[in-house]
Amino acid sequence: MMQEPQEVVEETVTIEEDPGTPTSHVSVVTSDDGTTRRTETKDNVTNMKVTKVVKTITRRTFQPVILTESKASTVPPSTPTPSETKPVTKMVKTVTTRTVRQVPLGPDGLPLPEGSSPLGSYTDSIDRRYMKNGERFITPQASSTLTRSYNNYSDSYNDTPDSQFRHYALHDGYGDVPDNYGSLSRGVNYRPYRPYMPTGGYRPENSYTLPIRKDDYGHVAQPQVPMGSSTVDLNRSQPERFQPEPYGLEDDRRSLGPDDEEPYDLEPDYSTANRRTLPGRTIREPLRNGPRVRGYEDPIETELIDERHPYIHGMYPAPLAQPERGSLASLDRMGGRRSPSIDSIRKDPRWRDPDLPEVIAMLGHPIDPVKSNAAAYLQHLCYENDKIKKDVRQLKGIPVLVGLLDHPKAEVHRKACGALRNISYGKDHDNKVAIKSCDGIPALIRLLRKTNDMEVRELITGTLWNLSSYEPLKMVIINHGLQTMTNEVIIPHSGWEQEPNEDSKPRDAEWTTVFKNTSGCLRNVSSDGAEARRRLRECEGLVDALLHALQSAVGKKDMDNKSVENCVCIMRNLSYHVHKEVPGAEKFQDPSALQGPGSAGTQRKKNDDAGCFGGKKAKGRKNGEHNKNYDTLDLPKRTEPTKGFELLYQPEVVRLYLSLLTESQNFNTLEAAAGALQNLSAGQWTWSNYIRATVRKEKGLPILVELLRSDSDKVVRAVAIALRNLSIDRRNKDLIGSYAMRDLVSNLPSGQQRPAKNLEEDTVVAILNTIHEIITDSSENARSLITAQAIDKLVAINRTSQSARETKAASHVLQTVWSYKELRNGLTKDGWNKTHFQPIATGTPKGSKSCKPGYDDTTLPLMEKNQDGYSTIDQRDKDSKYKSSDGSSDLQEREPLKNDTNRKHYIRSNRPTVSLVDACDVKPQPVDSWV
Amino acid sequence: QQRIEIHKLRDGDNLILGFSIGGGIDQDPSQNPFSEDKTDKGIYVTRVSKGGPAEVAGLRMGDKIMQVNGWDMTMVTHDQARKKLTKKNEDVVRLLVTRKSLENAVRQSMMQH
Repeated sequence: MMQEPQEVVEETVTIEEDPGTPTSHVSVVTSDDGTTRRTETKDNVTNMKVTKVVKTITRRTFQPVILTESKASTVPPSTPTPSETKPVTKMVKTVTTRTVRQVPLGPDGLPLPEGSSPLGSYTDSIDRRYMKNGERFITPQASSTLTRSYNNYSDSYNDTPDSQFRHYALHDGYGDVPDNYGSLSRGVNYRPYRPYMPTGGYRPENSYTLPIRKDDYGHVAQPQVPMGSSTVDLNRSQPERFQPEPYGLEDDRRSLGPDDEEPYDLEPDYSTANRRTLPGRTIREPLRNGPRVRGYEDPIETELIDERHPYIHGMYPAPLAQPERGSLASLDRMGGRRSPSIDSIRKDPRWRDPDLPEVIAMLGHPIDPVKSNAAAYLQHLCYENDKIKKDVRQLKGIPVLVGLLDHPKAEVHRKACGALRNISYGKDHDNKVAIKSCDGIPALIRLLRKTNDMEVRELITGTLWNLSSYEPLKMVIINHGLQTMTNEVIIPHSGWEQEPNEDSKPRDAEWTTVFKNTSGCLRNVSSDGAEARRRLRECEGLVDALLHALQSAVGKKDMDNKSVENCVCIMRNLSYHVHKEVPGAEKFQDPSALQGPGSAGTQRKKNDDAGCFGGKKAKGRKNGEHNKNYDTLDLPKRTEPTKGFELLYQPEVVRLYLSLLTESQNFNTLEAAAGALQNLSAGQWTWSNYIRATVRKEKGLPILVELLRSDSDKVVRAVAIALRNLSIDRRNKDLIGSYAMRDLVSNLPSGQQRPAKNLEEDTVVAILNTIHEIITDSSENARSLITAQAIDKLVAINRTSQSARETKAASHVLQTVWSYKELRNGLTKDGWNKTHFQPIATGTPKGSKSCKPGYDDTTLPLMEKNQDGYSTIDQRDKDSKYKSSDGSSDLQEREPLKNDTNRKHYIRSNRPTVSLVDACDVKPQPVDSWV
Repeated sequence: QQRIEIHKLRDGDNLILGFSIGGGIDQDPSQNPFSEDKTDKGIYVTRVSKGGPAEVAGLRMGDKIMQVNGWDMTMVTHDQARKKLTKKNEDVVRLLVTRKSLENAVRQSMMQH
């Protein structure tokens, strides 16, 4: 009573897709365990390197090659745009390798005032490089501290791929490094570097294993300080991977799964360390690399980028088109340092990966394959790497990518879309906003309409799903894409046909990725409030198709997948407040609902009796007199088949939800289905009356009660609240009181020790509120409560619970129990006395405690704050209930009702045998089923 | 108590056990002709088709089904019981049943001793 049933819980939670699938995919799948992992991580870490690594991974051959000289050969292959599924990696390779090299060389000399220790190294960068190159530098100590750190740093960027190997091979070396650092710089810096240490050529050992490479990379890397920094961040990202966002799709996990966090314990540390350090780094040294580096984090970035572009443009085409040439050119530079013979292409400094501004610049390259390669590389870089995403955004890469969505070549818009999907994933809403700000949403929708390429459609809808997780974008998506998504994806994949063809038999839904993504997107946007719900309800064909899909899922007994979950969640959200929001709803309002529960009590009862269809089977039923048979009386006549949003609340859906509740193993689906029933059974209008009766008639109560035993907290909660709403129907209340009490009570904590399930506070409160609702106006149910041994628990909660909400809710139940004078005798015999049933004064005056405030805390705020989120049944309903329940005044009001023994008797006489399924509803003859 | 394993018979798309059940917590137990305790809401075998898999396996009319493949059947609705028995992906059903005659036999034998 007091706390109204929270009607519906809309899905606030958004599910995002995982972006990075492609990248991680590759590496994981292909490579060996250790290697693979490494690669992945590294990938994230070092952009440039990543590419290479990826390659390696993808093509087995590479790895070995790398060490040796084969590199050169490998590289060339990359040139062509990747046709493979995992485009990203390949692409990356090509692009990366060629381009950047020179860039580093160019002195950007931006002064960085706050060069941290690493920066200091920069100054030396040139020397350093050499040093690296010349692995001779073996003596770590020889190099000054700064230098060293620097080196390591740089190495890490460039070498990452290699470093991976090294990690494995050169573990020993690592240990030393840290020490050096320690001496050099502050602890902070040191840490981050660590991971890279392996790369550092310092170690003799390292040099042995992978000397050449390191050097190469080292050279390259240095110049690209920025990359390095980004790399660091990447490391950071690693940990994140492991812990995908709560709402991340399964895909994420999948992709993530492969990486083992444990093996590389260090990494997590690094990541953290990196973060800390990063800021410092940015600042870094002015001299050489400054400009580039800065780009990422500094305001200057933009300028830098611009400057770069021309340069880049010039350079890139050549290398790409003529890889060799490019390499040669680069060679010149590097050549001085190192003997070509030593390293393979890989080792060659020339093959530096492009840095981020370069990649973004390449998006505008006149040659399409360059564009698509660049986009694919971006996708790769952005996989699970928030830092890079942010950098891309700040470098204004997002509008360029969005622009490419309209590119006529499939290869280009596909890759652009892939990059956007990765960028749009994650908690950084700025990325999502950036996509929206450059009209990315309409562009995506346009492409969705235009393309038939499944992969592209998956990417588009995945991106939209990601975008839809951010509240402010939901309406934008609805405005631009609702009907398109419905027409292009939902309807065709649901199997629903607007005008069923007699020849064709009904089609089943296809649980494609596109459908999953789109339904996920709609699920998210459906939680955006009344207007969003209205739009979705009125979207032509949407509700019909979703229902068809769900029915098909039930028919096929395939109910545990994500698509079904999404569909049910949409349905639940759209069912929220139907009784208030649907056009014409006012025509169906139940006048009795306008009265408070207290005064309406009697009347309600009558209605409820009618609701049990006593009239039909009325044998010996008294209720015939006031029988309002909903079947005949109130149900609006339908002249034409129901369609659209009306389907949401037709009694037919009850069976669907009950089937889901019976069969699904997916907790989210269970919760949503229970939530849908909860929503539909809330409020006072004809349809909710009918729904409540139908749930009983369809034997839904036992199903719901059984779910009270679920292991899932949220399922228990949704079911409890649904039962509360259902008990607005008098007969339901009687049934639930008789048969669900034990399960409700068993979910309550006993004393301070929680039941096995250890339910959350919200759930406990929901159950207490449901119990309160059930025993209100029913001393019989209160008696069941006592029989279920609940008083012990309630008193314990009331006295010892740490939760004020639980205490209050329990207190209300106890007060209600005590208000039944006829029960007091028995209670006293059991050793209870009045004090047990009164609110415990804990510091606060009693009066205030038992009063509204208690309830307010729990329910009211929710309602008023966001109607969309959790709200109670009905405002009206709530208010009335509220009043009646809270405060001492309520109690007074209530008492008369409770003591109205006549009424009770009357009720009881009406239901001689209560069985969980209403007796009236049960077929009179024993059921006999052939099996 | 007795364990009975029934191999379902395929009939077109359907798998058949060849018996029918009555009872369940949603049914009126007083109308169950097989129960001794008329408040017993358990699932009972009401009919067994001649020559069907159930009969072949030894199931008898009036048997009370205690478990189906390990699932308790003493506190379930009629429909839940039916569903447990008719899973399409299971070709074999293992029942734990009690039989009045068995009980009686046991009781008698105990009394004799």
